[in-house]
Amino acid sequence: MKQSISQIKNSLKKKSISVEELHDEFFKKAKLNYNNAYNLITDKAQNKSLINESQKRYDNSNSLPLDGIPLGIKDLFCTKGVRTTASSKILSNFTPNYESFVTQQLLNNGSIFIGKNNCDEFAMGSSNETSHFGPVINPWKNKNEPNNNLVPGGSSGGSAAAVAEGSCVASMGTDTGGSIRQPASLCGIVGLKPTFGSCSRWGIVAFASSLDQAGPLTNCVEDAAHILNSINKYDFNDSTSSNHKRDDYVKDLNKKFEKKIKIGIPSDYLKDVSQDILNQIENAKKVLSQHDIEFIDVEFTTTEYALSTYYILAPAEASSNLARYDGIRYGVREKGENLDDIYLNSRTKGFGDEVKRRILIGAYVLSAGYYDAYYRQAQKVRRLIKNDFERILRDVDFILTPTTPNEAFKIGDKLDPISMYKNDIYTVPTSLAGLPGVSIPSGLSSNGLPLGIQFIGNYFQEKKLLQLAALAEKELAFNE
Amino acid sequence: MSDIDIKRISYLAKLKLPQEKEEFYANSLKEIIKWVDNLKQIDTNEVKPLHNVINATESIRNDEINKHNSVEEVLSNAPERAQNFFKVPKVVD
Repeated sequence: MKQSISQIKNSLKKKSISVEELHDEFFKKAKLNYNNAYNLITDKAQNKSLINESQKRYDNSNSLPLDGIPLGIKDLFCTKGVRTTASSKILSNFTPNYESFVTQQLLNNGSIFIGKNNCDEFAMGSSNETSHFGPVINPWKNKNEPNNNLVPGGSSGGSAAAVAEGSCVASMGTDTGGSIRQPASLCGIVGLKPTFGSCSRWGIVAFASSLDQAGPLTNCVEDAAHILNSINKYDFNDSTSSNHKRDDYVKDLNKKFEKKIKIGIPSDYLKDVSQDILNQIENAKKVLSQHDIEFIDVEFTTTEYALSTYYILAPAEASSNLARYDGIRYGVREKGENLDDIYLNSRTKGFGDEVKRRILIGAYVLSAGYYDAYYRQAQKVRRLIKNDFERILRDVDFILTPTTPNEAFKIGDKLDPISMYKNDIYTVPTSLAGLPGVSIPSGLSSNGLPLGIQFIGNYFQEKKLLQLAALAEKELAFNE
Repeated sequence: MSDIDIKRISYLAKLKLPQEKEEFYANSLKEIIKWVDNLKQIDTNEVKPLHNVINATESIRNDEINKHNSVEEVLSNAPERAQNFFKVPKVVD
């Protein structure tokens, strides 16, 4: 039975386990790297002083909120003195001299990093198959085909698999179009993407800067609230960081809503979905209706344009962000006769196929003659998508959707990029609108694989969103 | 949609696609561009492009020098260096 952060902290306070024993338990599991969920596992010697300091704080009864908690960190967060690769060949030798804002907050709150989690290369993928260091394997197996290795989802696939296999208590991921919520759903855990502007992007390897957002992958909603308390802070170094007052997300997590709440279910999301997926929504509706919650059918008018908008904007931003990888100042340099050759060879050999594909899409939609037709048009449609969400959130407090259109699939099964991109159909619209979304496990498919549901809340309303998710989590577990 | 000039696009992206891969990328790009072409159906004449979803003004700072990195730190990841500089092949003839 997996323990929550609160339960582990209680054991540490009662001295039924030491910080070092706790660390070793997870470290040993991580070391096996059975599912390739880690690109790097931190040497125990490197963590020794953190372990000792943490233990001292417990001994002096002044422990920090995440004291001694072993975490996995997506290999997209710069970690000072610890190799950070974005799962790309071009960064395979890169050791940052600074710590990302978010991981610094986690360290300030006493947590200990078990290792760097494998992910899709530069976070571009929905199955964790584009990593230079090989695919991550989902710890779950299809009960009808138990010999097949399944994808964990992506791009934070290593972070999700690590939590699911129990080699860290919780992990950090990033979400651009679903990269926290989708793998959380396929691995049967909780994944939270906060409102854009909540958690600083400073020190996170950039993919699409108007969409990227950091968030936790955890065993339970309460753990997500604990992590969010640490990382949700204004940061001057991120020009899109919002300077609003943050809530305490753990306090009152299980408190009842003061008034009746309304949840919208978008009928257009449920067209053509499988019975397995439909059951998740129906079941959630059934158990939550026993509380003072009303469900309303809602309909978006922009859903069919969301993926197109995303697959113009995200590659455009990526092609611009990835222009910095040229083999000159850091990263892997390939040989060349002249400067231009070095650029061309370093980039061509350093990036994998999917990253190249997205850079090419981005360069195309930004190029002279196509900018207005594609990039600018997509930015306009993005506003319409945001307006669409705002219209619906005037009538309801939350929106309930499936997290993914399918269960975890076989590694190597989806070769065509468009069918891969369609995995994010339920998560991309929320990302484009910048809204917070949380995926929680809702049940199993007929193949015995985990499925998830997603709750979407209003801007910066993570507290209410997590309260609802905690309620649903409790009811769904009870129901099972 | 007109034909995609993959040579020009890869030049813009500073990528050198091997000849045998050119067609692969050109076809892939064509399919994706065709897929996203449905955005053209939408009338957006009255719509302003959206850059920042949270409507907030992006924060700016005074242009003051803050020393966070030493020269050694900045150069520590350099593939090639000469004294305090990044080293590249000769650029000027």
